[in-house]
Amino acid sequence: MLKATGLKYRYQYGNTIQFPEIEIERGQRLLISGFSGCGKTTLLSLIAGTLKLQDGDITFDKHEYSKMSSILLDKFRADHIGYIFQTLNLIPFLSVSENIALGIKFSSTRKSKVNDLSQEVVRLITSLGLEEEILNTPIDHLSVGQQQRAAVARALLGMPDLILADEPTSALDNDTTKKFLREVMNTFDPSHQAIIMVSHDLSIASYFDTVIDFNKHNA
Amino acid sequence: MLSLLLKSIRSRIIPTSLVTISLMASMVLLLSIERIQQGAEEGFNQSISGVDAIIGPRSSSLELVLYTVFHIGRPTNNITTKTIDDIRQRNDIDWIVPIALGDSHKDFRVVATESNYFEHIKYANNKSLTLSKGKVFSDLSEVVLGADVAEKLNYIVGSKIQITHGSTESTSNKHDDFLFEVSGILNKTGTPIDQAVFLDLKGYELLHLGWKSGRKVFSLDKIDLSTIPKEDLNPKTLTAAFVGLKSKLTLFNFTKSIREYPNEAISAVIPGIALSELWSIVGLVDKGFQLLSWIIIAISLIAMITLIIASLENRKHEMTIYRANGASPRFLSGMVVYEALFIGLVAIFGAIILVSIVTYFATSQLNSTLGISPAFKWISFGEVKVFSIILLAGVLSSLIPAIMVFRKNLHQTLN
Repeated sequence: MLKATGLKYRYQYGNTIQFPEIEIERGQRLLISGFSGCGKTTLLSLIAGTLKLQDGDITFDKHEYSKMSSILLDKFRADHIGYIFQTLNLIPFLSVSENIALGIKFSSTRKSKVNDLSQEVVRLITSLGLEEEILNTPIDHLSVGQQQRAAVARALLGMPDLILADEPTSALDNDTTKKFLREVMNTFDPSHQAIIMVSHDLSIASYFDTVIDFNKHNA
Repeated sequence: MLSLLLKSIRSRIIPTSLVTISLMASMVLLLSIERIQQGAEEGFNQSISGVDAIIGPRSSSLELVLYTVFHIGRPTNNITTKTIDDIRQRNDIDWIVPIALGDSHKDFRVVATESNYFEHIKYANNKSLTLSKGKVFSDLSEVVLGADVAEKLNYIVGSKIQITHGSTESTSNKHDDFLFEVSGILNKTGTPIDQAVFLDLKGYELLHLGWKSGRKVFSLDKIDLSTIPKEDLNPKTLTAAFVGLKSKLTLFNFTKSIREYPNEAISAVIPGIALSELWSIVGLVDKGFQLLSWIIIAISLIAMITLIIASLENRKHEMTIYRANGASPRFLSGMVVYEALFIGLVAIFGAIILVSIVTYFATSQLNSTLGISPAFKWISFGEVKVFSIILLAGVLSSLIPAIMVFRKNLHQTLN
């Protein structure tokens, strides 16, 4: 489904990182681990198309990122990728359900996969362990854990082919992390989707079938 | 999009309101300047109203208007009463009000006329002169005061005043042998009428009985006034006359025939035309107003662009989230353009409503204190043009933050 080859990224005021080759198929769960600043988030941003490629290329279902403009990449991302950001990036003045609905607002491809939006939102949030009652609550009235789940629901809505998650458990304690990952993996559909998660925490490796440890790679 | 936009504006209601209010303030300033400018011009052009023509000795039309309407300067010649009486006989004349100028009272000009002056001479939009106190003079010893004269000199009905020969106050040229009594005080008009003292032509003639070539030769004190034959008090010469015609269609024929009057060199001017000519001469003020308007427009534009860019800078994160979720450039520019339009339109409509309400309620106050009567209107074509320029500039400037969102790597803002 996705293949990243020869990726290299030069930071404006720093060193250059060379990334390992990455290949992922539908149904696969990939964990990328490593210490802070090793380039995990940069790799995820390159795959999401939110950061411009400098060297190498990414091919996603025969679409080559190097041949796409940033506007086309935005559209492609909206149609095929659900992105769970480290900083959540929820809109504070919208309610929980409106924030989740943003996931498919700009993608007709993902919209077509949802028959009844409110039913699907309820299904997602209950499977992620949230109460239906919070749907109309403003997002900034929720706890960090609840916001995390709302951000996941937004990324999963409309069944995107690839889910990218950037340190989604960094703000959670151990027990909550385990519960959260269990819920995410239950909601994830292995027959259609793949997931790439970035985390510095290797203890969650058991939830994934492939692990790339940047510490080892860079060493 | 609209629902997202309204929610976004509601979440920033205080800064957005401040932006709108400051924009509205510059627009109110702009509109006020426009209205005052037009009001001043209209006020000037309507210093006299209801008069079709002014007849005076042959001279430039501006000179004639200056001394008959604005009481500035002095006539070089007079016209004879016989000429005025001849004109009075014409069929096309509806009414005629003669005036004699030359004297003053404490630097306020004296206008000697007939009592029908107050009936025919109008100001502004055909408004009649009204008395705030007392009545129009009915005796040759009575005077009517303009509102400013009574106010500045603290005169009331019944006050006694002396008239000075000529326009400058001095003891040697006082008509100190005759006292006039104030019979009435006019309401404020915002025109030179406020600064004039009106008395009967016969009273004026009486004052000058003992005068020859600008010097007093005998005093009225020694004469029993009741012995003076009435016809001796009919003035021999006059300064000018205001004329009302039966039909305005005959106006140009009338002025032409007055210019061609065989027995005396006289001319007739149409006040509206002469006042417009005069305004174009004193139009420096007008040009100053226009320059001020353009400076305000420039400042409003800079203010609007700065405020919109500053307010949208705060929205960059929100817009980046939309972009991360696949929003197209059209959607994002739509969001900012609609917001700029919304702010601009609210500011414009707010300013129009505010200025219109103030104009409506303050007209009489402005008229009585400054002599300016801004016409009540919602918006003029010129104002629509200026507002469109401001709105367009605001909308274009609002695109800058939207472009910035697209030029920046999403990665930097999102992580």
